Amino acid sequence: MNKSFKTLAVGLTVAFSLGACASNNADNNAAGTGSASPAASSSSSSAAPSEAAVDPMGKFAEPVEVSLGRGVDPTYKYEGNDTAEDNIYTRWLKDSYNIVVKHEWEAAPADYGQKVSLAIASNNLPDAMLVNETQLRQMVKAGQLADLTEVYDKYGAERLKQIYKTNPGLLEGVTFDGKLYALPETTLPSAPMTWIRKDWLDKLGLEAPKTLQDLENVAKAFIDNKMGGDNTLGIVGTQQGGSLYSTFLSSGDHFMNFSSLFFANDAYPGIWVKDESGNAVYGSTTAETKKSLSLMRDWYAKGILDKEIGLRKSSKEALTSGQAGIFFGPWWSPYDLQDAIKSNPEANWRPYAAPLDDAGVFNSNQATGSNFIVVNKKYEHPEAIIKMLNLHVSEKPESYKTAVGKEMTSQEIPLFLVMGFGDQLQYAVKTTQKVLTGEMKLEEVDKANYGFTYELSSHVKNIKKEPFDNYDIQYWDQKTDPDFFAHVYAHLNGGSTFVDANVNYVKSIATAQTKTMQTKWTNLKKLEDETFLKIIMGIAPVDEFDTFVTKWKQQGGDEITAEVNELK
Amino acid sequence: MLNRGVSKHYLLMLLPGLIWLALYNVLPMYGVLMAFKDFNPGLGIFKSEWIGMDNFEYMFQLDDSKVIFKNTIVIALFKMLGNLIVPLVFALMLNEVKNRLFTRSVQTIVYLPHFLSWVIIAGIMLDIFSYSGPINQVLSLFGAEPMLFFANPNLFPWMVVFSDIWKEFGFAAIIFFAALTSINPEMYEAAAIDGASQFKRLTRITLPSILPVAVLLGTLSLGNILNAGFDQIFNLYNPTVYSTGDIIDTWVYRAGLIDMQYGLATAVGLLKSVVGLVLISVSYTLAYRFANYRIF
Repeated sequence: MNKSFKTLAVGLTVAFSLGACASNNADNNAAGTGSASPAASSSSSSAAPSEAAVDPMGKFAEPVEVSLGRGVDPTYKYEGNDTAEDNIYTRWLKDSYNIVVKHEWEAAPADYGQKVSLAIASNNLPDAMLVNETQLRQMVKAGQLADLTEVYDKYGAERLKQIYKTNPGLLEGVTFDGKLYALPETTLPSAPMTWIRKDWLDKLGLEAPKTLQDLENVAKAFIDNKMGGDNTLGIVGTQQGGSLYSTFLSSGDHFMNFSSLFFANDAYPGIWVKDESGNAVYGSTTAETKKSLSLMRDWYAKGILDKEIGLRKSSKEALTSGQAGIFFGPWWSPYDLQDAIKSNPEANWRPYAAPLDDAGVFNSNQATGSNFIVVNKKYEHPEAIIKMLNLHVSEKPESYKTAVGKEMTSQEIPLFLVMGFGDQLQYAVKTTQKVLTGEMKLEEVDKANYGFTYELSSHVKNIKKEPFDNYDIQYWDQKTDPDFFAHVYAHLNGGSTFVDANVNYVKSIATAQTKTMQTKWTNLKKLEDETFLKIIMGIAPVDEFDTFVTKWKQQGGDEITAEVNELK
Repeated sequence: MLNRGVSKHYLLMLLPGLIWLALYNVLPMYGVLMAFKDFNPGLGIFKSEWIGMDNFEYMFQLDDSKVIFKNTIVIALFKMLGNLIVPLVFALMLNEVKNRLFTRSVQTIVYLPHFLSWVIIAGIMLDIFSYSGPINQVLSLFGAEPMLFFANPNLFPWMVVFSDIWKEFGFAAIIFFAALTSINPEMYEAAAIDGASQFKRLTRITLPSILPVAVLLGTLSLGNILNAGFDQIFNLYNPTVYSTGDIIDTWVYRAGLIDMQYGLATAVGLLKSVVGLVLISVSYTLAYRFANYRIF
């Protein structure tokens, strides 16, 4: 999970930092004087040092220091001697806005969550950092966070507010007792699709699967015909330390797990759903989940599922080595398929909105927010954090083009959040397709609001070869524009199938731990993980599930369900 | 007078160690207060609300607690025994080989894994014992069905014990080698002249001579009975083997760092320390009684 997340982080962050470079005319007009020219900024700040505060994009009169806890990818290559702490972007922040970024600590993406938890527990917090929802709630409860309500009102740029307006519910989700305690990320929609080596399908003359039965047949055909050599694997997924399905605490992370098999049985393990009478019930305890488990057990015994579920150090390796031809993953999976394509140039990975449930519906649980910027209560300049986010999402002034002038990623931009309008993916895919076919001119792309779409569109013609509506790997040019290949390939190959799919989303009633969960969840989750994996791998009988449900309820599940019922 | 000067030197040399101990082991002890509090990071350890023994009561209610204590003791006990017997036998056997070059190279090779971290060794182990890995391929030659060694709750503890012994026996044998070289060769010569066989010399001279060292090492390792090896198990386990492979340390890690149940995790950790302290005292007494080994 960690590995894929890291790659995603890099991939997506590249994508959306570009989006962030998007210009916004309205905003530019409103804040024009403050941000338009770097030369003028020094004079304007000296003219009105105290009132400069009201200008969301203005330069601070005095250098303002921000200490951060930061996730840094150790494999990322910076320009020259640049680091995460001192690079072209942070220098630009400092020179143009007097915001000086200091790192209190750094952690590799895989360890970041732990490091944050430690910082929270020891109450040794940087001025600002990115946290997840459970950590956010923990910090709110501990009274560690600054109330951002006023600062956001006063300093939030027009565009920033617009973004939150087009993503309803986000700010409400981080408002506790009427106080705004965090700045949430705009979530990208996500649902796990079935990714299949289409070159194998074609070779065997098979149709793309729609139902679970189809999928089983395809996997069986791949194995029987040794498409990936003697050790051909069926469906690969969860690796060591990973989870079988995404949960209400990590609902967006669908890459290479088995959520899809549950969804196709109308089961939603790991999240809180409503039963027939409208009461909250934990998805992992339902009859549908039992049915899914018994199917997976059957498939595991037949070898349709990888025998080493939960044991592989890296499931992605099975794709790179060419042993496997099927996995489940979201639209952005191609970002993670780069190695697999490099080592098997003929590997034609295509996504399918499958498997469908008995009624022919394509189900998924709905992703909830993932990252939040939080500000330490003791920090004196919370407005600096808001300004940083303003700058991140707004059109950059001329100074930016000369000082930075290239695409920045989360590795350069401190406190990086994916920020965009609610329909960003839809727009990006559809517009890029239209520009490619000539239906739309590049100039017609709404550069102001969808900057990244503009980038995609301006590169797409170097990358996608004719026929334009066929996304098979042989119709792509990977060499001319290698920096943008992954973006365009992910958006057109993965994104197009996803935005056209008719997804029935099921949302979790609870999105963070309730009070009782804080003490009992470790135990219950352990019970769940152990029982499920044992059932699938044939170590325990299917009926062990009923024992699990009874035990789960006894050991605090009932209590927690009652708490969740109060949330709905 | 001379004595005093010497001991001053020694005490000075002890100082860095003592400072380290105070800073990292003694000072942070106030953290155990968390076990008796409803810990709120915003308030800090001292200001958080006292909840008495609630965390401990809850801990004993959990089915998990019994399982993880049992697993920890079972795994640690077998590791202790294995890590005592295997290196001893190995050292005795290698001691009989007279080719110096051979013994030296074997010694060097077998203690190499000791210097690799568990992250690496675990990766290698998982690969070797994987479904289509070398071990299963060899087994399939004999017609056995391939099996998943690390996903089998019955096998897992043995795999853990086995891999730990494989990693550590070479290094542990060093002490036995040292003990063996300190045996006076004249005893062997005398025995040989008296007509003692090779085997007799082993049982009558070698074994009794290094027995105190073996007893000492054994008793001292008693203090580790609740350390089943976090690094190792964390890198090898998965949910299917929780029933036999989840140990105190991995549980505390999940509860404390993943689920942020600081109080409960501290309580479990504290109980582990208390039991560890008792065992260390016992083993110290035993070491004194049987091996005449004294630290104080």
